[in-house]
Amino acid sequence: MADRTLPKILQTPAVILLLIWMIVPLSMTLYFSFIRYVLSSTVRPEWTTPALSNWRGFGNYGYVLKAKDFVLAVQNSVLIVGSILILTVLLGLAIAVLVNRGFPGRGIVRVLLISPFFVMPAVNAVLWINMILDPVLGLQGLAVGGLNSLIDGLRDFPVLGYFFNLWPTLEPISFRATQTSAYAVIMMVTWQWTPFAVLIFMTSLQSEDESQKEAATLDGASNWSKFINLTVPHLGRPIAIVIMIQSIFHLSLYAEIEIVSRGNGNKNLPYLIGEFANNNIGAASATGIFAVILANIIAIFLLRMVGKTLMD
Amino acid sequence: MATITQNSRFSKVLWPAVAWLIALIFFFPIFWLVFTSFKTDQDAVNPEFLFRFTPTLENYTNMTQNYDYWKFATNSVITSTFATLFALIVGVPAAYAMAFNPSRHTKDILMWMLSTKMLPAAAVLYPMTFLTKNFLQIYDTHFLVVLVLCLVNLPIVIWMLFTYFKEIPKEIIEAGKMDGVNTWGEIKDILIPLAWGGIASTALLTFIFCWNEAYWTVRLTTFNASTLSTLIEGNRAPEGLFFGRLSAVSTAAIAPIVILGWFCQKQLVAGLTFGAVK
Repeated sequence: MADRTLPKILQTPAVILLLIWMIVPLSMTLYFSFIRYVLSSTVRPEWTTPALSNWRGFGNYGYVLKAKDFVLAVQNSVLIVGSILILTVLLGLAIAVLVNRGFPGRGIVRVLLISPFFVMPAVNAVLWINMILDPVLGLQGLAVGGLNSLIDGLRDFPVLGYFFNLWPTLEPISFRATQTSAYAVIMMVTWQWTPFAVLIFMTSLQSEDESQKEAATLDGASNWSKFINLTVPHLGRPIAIVIMIQSIFHLSLYAEIEIVSRGNGNKNLPYLIGEFANNNIGAASATGIFAVILANIIAIFLLRMVGKTLMD
Repeated sequence: MATITQNSRFSKVLWPAVAWLIALIFFFPIFWLVFTSFKTDQDAVNPEFLFRFTPTLENYTNMTQNYDYWKFATNSVITSTFATLFALIVGVPAAYAMAFNPSRHTKDILMWMLSTKMLPAAAVLYPMTFLTKNFLQIYDTHFLVVLVLCLVNLPIVIWMLFTYFKEIPKEIIEAGKMDGVNTWGEIKDILIPLAWGGIASTALLTFIFCWNEAYWTVRLTTFNASTLSTLIEGNRAPEGLFFGRLSAVSTAAIAPIVILGWFCQKQLVAGLTFGAVK
C-alpha cells in the first residue's frame, strides 16, 4: 500500500500548484466574460464592481466579435506564428545541413549561431527596431542612404548614367507602421529562434544512418533525392518538436509587439486583450476565452502529433 | 572520378566558409549592440563614426545613474534564483515519483502539465492583477514574481527532470529500497548524485527562462520587484537620442545569460526536446 500512496504524495504539491494556477484565474476570466465590468465609468458606476447583477450573457463575446480589431488581431496572431514557424523550420533545415560537416572552428560556429536564442525578448526588440531597422538612424537607413548616394554618383557617367537615371531613389521602410511592424516582429523572432531549430536539427542529423545514404549513392540517387527521401523523414520528429515548442512560446508573444508596435494599430490576440484590459474587463475576458479556445485547438492538435512520440 | 575529387576539394573550402558566414550574420546584431555601447550617444547616430570612433566606457560608468541598472539586475538575480530553486524543490520529488513509480495516469498528468504551458498568459492577466493587488496584496513583491516564475516553468522543469530520471536504471533505486533506505534517502543519496548533471542543466535552463521572462514580470510589478525586462521595455523608444547608453544597458542585461547559455548549449537540445532528440 505504501508503494502506491507515497508516489502520489510526492506529486501532489506540483499537481495542486498547477491546478490552482490554471483553474482560479481562468474561472475568474470566464465569470468576467459574462458580466458587464469596466474599471471606470461616470455614467454607469455600478459596472465598476464585478457582480452577478451586471450579467450580460454572451454580450461581451458578440461585442468582441464585431470589433474590427478582433479580426485584425486573429489574422495577425496566425500570420506571425505561422510565418515564424515556416521560416525557422526552413532556415533551420538549410543551415543545419550546411553546418553539419566537420570543419575547423565548428565549436565556435555553434556558439556564435546559438547566441541569439539567449537574448531577452525586450532587448531583441529594442535592438532590432532602433539600431538595425530604424529608417533614418538604424543600419537600414544608413544602408539605403549609402546606396542612394552611390547611384547618384553613377548618374554622372556618360553612357551608364542614362541607365542609372532610370533608377528611382530608394526609400527606407519604416517598420513602425501597422503592417510593416508585424514583419519586423517576424524578422526579430525568426532571428532568435532559427538557432534553436538549427541546434536541434544538427543534433538529430548526427544520428542519421550514413550507410543508408551510401547505399543510395551507389544506386545513383541524387543529393536532392537523398535529402528528401532519407534526411527529411529522419528529421520528422525533431521538426514536430520544434514546431510544438515554438507554438508554446509564440502564441503568447507580447514583449516584441509591445515594443515595436505600441499605438500603431498592429496587434495580436494577447496585445488586444491588454488593450481592452485598460478599461473594459468584460471584453478583455471574452477575448481571453477566445485566445484560450484557439490555443486549445492548436494544443490538442500538437499534443496528438508530438506528445505520443515523446513518451517512447 | 576526377570531377568528384575536384568537387570535394572545392567544397572543403566552400562549406566551412558558408557556415562561418552564416554564423557571423546571426551573431552580427549582438556584436553591433556591444559595439554601439562603446560609442557616445552623439557618435552612435552619426554615420561618420559608423566604424571609426573613439571608444568610451562612459555609457557603462553612467549606467547606475541613467537607468538604476543594479536595482533591476539584483531583482532579476534574486527572483530567477529563488524561482529556479523552488521549481526544483517541487519538481524533483514529482519527477522522481513519475519516473520510478509510474501509475496509469502518469502519462496523462505529464501531458496535462505541458498543456497548461499553452494557456495564453494574457487571458488571465486581469484576474491575476485583481487577485494579487486587491485580494492577496502581494502585487509588485519579490514573493509574487518568484511564485509566478516558478509556476510558469514548473511543467518544463518536471518534463526535463522526468526525461533525465528515466535514463537511470530502476534496479539501482530498487536496490536502495532493499537495503531499507527510505524515500527521502533514495532521493538524497541515490537519485540526486546519479542525476546531478541532468538536474544542473535543468536548473541552468530554468534560470535562463526566468531571466528572460517578459510578460508576468512586467505586468505584475511596477517598481519594487521589477526585473531587467521591465527596465528595457520602459526605455523602448529612444528615437535615436540614447542609442549609446541604451546599447550599454541592454548589453549588461543580456551578457550574463548569453555567457551562461554558451556553457549549457549542449544540454539545451536534450532538455528542450525532452530527450526525444539525441
